[in-house]
Amino acid sequence: MGTMGLALPWKARISSMPRERGTRVEPSEHFAGGPSPAVVNPLSEDAALAAACRSGDVRAYERLYAMHGARMKNLARNVLGNPVDAEDAVQETFLKVQRSIASFRGQSSFVTWTYRILVNTCYDARRSRLRKKEVANDDSEETPRHEPRAPGAHPALRMALERALAKLTRHQRDVFLLYEVEGFRHAEIAGMLEMTETASKNTLFQAKKNLRLMLEPPRSSAAEAR
Amino acid sequence: MKIMNVTCNDRDRIFEDGTLAEWTALEAHAASCPLCAEEVRAWKSLSVAARELRDYSDNPSFWPRIERALAEAAARNAQRAERKSWFSFLPSFSPAWRTALAGAFLLVLTISGGWILIHRPVDPGDNDKSLLKSSALKEVESAESAYEHAIDKLAAEAKPQLDDPATPLLANYHEKLLVLDSAIADLRAQAGMNPSNAQLRHQLLAMYQEKQHTLEEVLETKQ
Repeated sequence: MGTMGLALPWKARISSMPRERGTRVEPSEHFAGGPSPAVVNPLSEDAALAAACRSGDVRAYERLYAMHGARMKNLARNVLGNPVDAEDAVQETFLKVQRSIASFRGQSSFVTWTYRILVNTCYDARRSRLRKKEVANDDSEETPRHEPRAPGAHPALRMALERALAKLTRHQRDVFLLYEVEGFRHAEIAGMLEMTETASKNTLFQAKKNLRLMLEPPRSSAAEAR
Repeated sequence: MKIMNVTCNDRDRIFEDGTLAEWTALEAHAASCPLCAEEVRAWKSLSVAARELRDYSDNPSFWPRIERALAEAAARNAQRAERKSWFSFLPSFSPAWRTALAGAFLLVLTISGGWILIHRPVDPGDNDKSLLKSSALKEVESAESAYEHAIDKLAAEAKPQLDDPATPLLANYHEKLLVLDSAIADLRAQAGMNPSNAQLRHQLLAMYQEKQHTLEEVLETKQ
């Protein structure tokens, strides 16, 4: 695979300050006008939203969509590779939430629970899609075809990253997408993927290490040799 | 602020789970270590590159589609709940209670069935028609006895001719009657062991009738 140098013009924009442990930079800090992050909402709001959804109030689902719909669709798109399947997965997630809300006991936050359903729905969709075409071709489950999307600042970088992400393990990809792309904290990711917070951190570290190897060969080896 | 000391060996640990203070220390170390500076830069570049995967463009028709699907699902659920409410007069029990009730019902059913089977009235129509009941048996036996006496009288009349047959025909009749008497004796012995067997009684009657006809023919020959 061609390498993608990460010494890019936006280097200057990289903050020298790392994210503080436990005080994760919220998605709202990443992009202006984007969807409201779950973590900004107080717990009571999460519980109120869950209660409203449980009562069957469609406006509650609309609020959930307004708060998280775009992020859910983006996550689904990054897992499934195209917007059509992503919208199907998000719709299915809303239906599953409606069906199962009575069984939601509040062990995790309502939003975390919703994203867990979304992630599982996406992988169910991938498996189902794979079963349909497994005889037709040799497409691996781990290599979804990414359809073109709205042009970003660096389409070549995005494509390289998509290809590299497809080569990661499922958990590495999920944690990277949830943390680096969607801006969730490790505590939230742990709830979504049913793993410990430490495992989430370790998985992200492994994911980034692998991505770095795929996107940019380590110059360090040469430097260390000197 | 005092900056803690870190080395190149601490880099991966800080990348994985470093505190703010540790990151600050790594940054300070990277200022004088080109290798760590390159690694920190590449590490952070991945986070920046990840932003390329964000596409929060809105599809105005998407929420109405979800809303429609939710409304349809809610309507289906309401229909199902309505159907379920038809049975709402039945008390709702926990699965354990339901199992216990089903077991008790089965037990009552088994005991009742057993009791009915044991105490059911005897229907004569259900019994084997070939078996004679006590009253019928007495009737048959008395009729049979009277019939036997009448045939014995007939036999007594024919005895002189049969003891000294004048013609071969009479000799044949004599032989035939001996065979019939032997068959009658066998059948009566069987009927004695199994008096209710109507089939044996029918065969015995046929033998008596045959003996009667034979004796009549013998007497006709005399005339």
